[in-house]
Amino acid sequence: MNPVLRVVRGLRSLVVGLGITGRHAIRPVVTLQYPHQRPDASHWGGPIELVTFPETGTHDCIACNACARICPSDCFDIEGKRPEGSRKMRATKFELDFSTCSLCGLCIDVCPTNTLQYSRRYDDAAYRRDQTVNDLLAPFGEDPYLAGKLK
Amino acid sequence: MGALTHLLASLLGDTVARIALGVVFIMGFLTFNVLFLIWLERKVAGHIQRRLGPMEVGPHGALQTLADMLKLLSKELFTPVAADRYTYLLAPILVFLPTLCVASLIPVGPAVAFADMPYGLIVIAALSGLTVIAIFMAGWSSNNKYAVLGGLRSVAQVVAYEIPVLLAALSVVLIAQSLNLRQIVEGQSFPYILVEPLAAVVFFIGITAETNRAPFDIPEAESELVGGFHTEYSGMRFAMFFFAEYTNMLVLGALGATLFLGGWKGPLLPGWLWIILKAYGVILLMMWARWTFPRLRFDQLMSFAWKLLIPLALGNLVVTALVLGFAG
Repeated sequence: MNPVLRVVRGLRSLVVGLGITGRHAIRPVVTLQYPHQRPDASHWGGPIELVTFPETGTHDCIACNACARICPSDCFDIEGKRPEGSRKMRATKFELDFSTCSLCGLCIDVCPTNTLQYSRRYDDAAYRRDQTVNDLLAPFGEDPYLAGKLK
Repeated sequence: MGALTHLLASLLGDTVARIALGVVFIMGFLTFNVLFLIWLERKVAGHIQRRLGPMEVGPHGALQTLADMLKLLSKELFTPVAADRYTYLLAPILVFLPTLCVASLIPVGPAVAFADMPYGLIVIAALSGLTVIAIFMAGWSSNNKYAVLGGLRSVAQVVAYEIPVLLAALSVVLIAQSLNLRQIVEGQSFPYILVEPLAAVVFFIGITAETNRAPFDIPEAESELVGGFHTEYSGMRFAMFFFAEYTNMLVLGALGATLFLGGWKGPLLPGWLWIILKAYGVILLMMWARWTFPRLRFDQLMSFAWKLLIPLALGNLVVTALVLGFAG
């Protein structure tokens, strides 16, 4: 190719390149200022958690161990107790080892009382393996059934 | 300021006081300038990549570079066992000195320049060539193959690009009929970039290469040479190279503004502000180019300088001389 033409074309391509980056420089940013801004996680399926039912203000886990039996990775550690004069058990211990959980969702499907769901959490972090065990009862405090406040 | 000058003058004598004040003032401004430019560079890079850049330290991250500097100050100064010790220690200081001298030569107003020399442009050309010796000292004394390669590349690059820069500056000198920077600015009833657009483009490409910036950042090409000539430097010694690079950008940007954009001349605002604004405009263009273009290969870099820029600048100089000769 004609060397003069090559130089002219080369210079033009440089200006085109500057135009592209210049346009991008004045467009709005596409990043989030995490942790000040957080993404919409409403469709995210995070670590399993217990549902809080609005009628009772607590979960409805009856410690039937159906989730523990169907779990392919043996994540669950559940213990239960029957409150005085009640036919339903209540969970007294519900731990999920998230380091082995594959979020397959079988426990959610099998739960007879529909008290398991995916959480919206996406940024859990831990320094040691034993910190990855989630105590799912921790957010609930004292159990109203076992305390006799609910029948 | 006046009282301070008087006090210093009575203590030290007139010339020494003038030098001391000038050095303090220029060093202070250059330090601020480097902190500002690194912040600006990161902001420009961020926005071109649709990010915000530093946002956490200070309003819009304005104090980020200050925090980085404090971190660098606290880091260990590492010297390789087999390094050429004195050369290794001297290089970061020497790399900065010529730039400081050149900064004192730029006129910032019709009556304000720290040093006003009749042949200022020649002194600037001579001094800015010294930076490359310091860079080569750093590369050689580190006893590291990447550092040596970076140093060698830097020498070859700066030697090659010094020529078109000087030829472009010479065509301005021909029009202004002076090597004094102040007279060159005073000769510009309108900016010389309008009469010498080709020289301005060649000069801009040349100073981008001389400051080792992308797309000509071959001496420190991260993907090939780790850090290039400053691979073995840590802490504040590394920061000195950074400091020198950004100061060099400002000085050469200000030189470009002086030669082609009318220096301190401009409406409304005071002269010193105009030259700073013009220099920052040139620097902004250099940053914009850095985040747009890919790095050249070494042979491309060399053939670009010797086969395109030098003939162009030389031809431009000859045409300028002929036109001036026939026009009177």
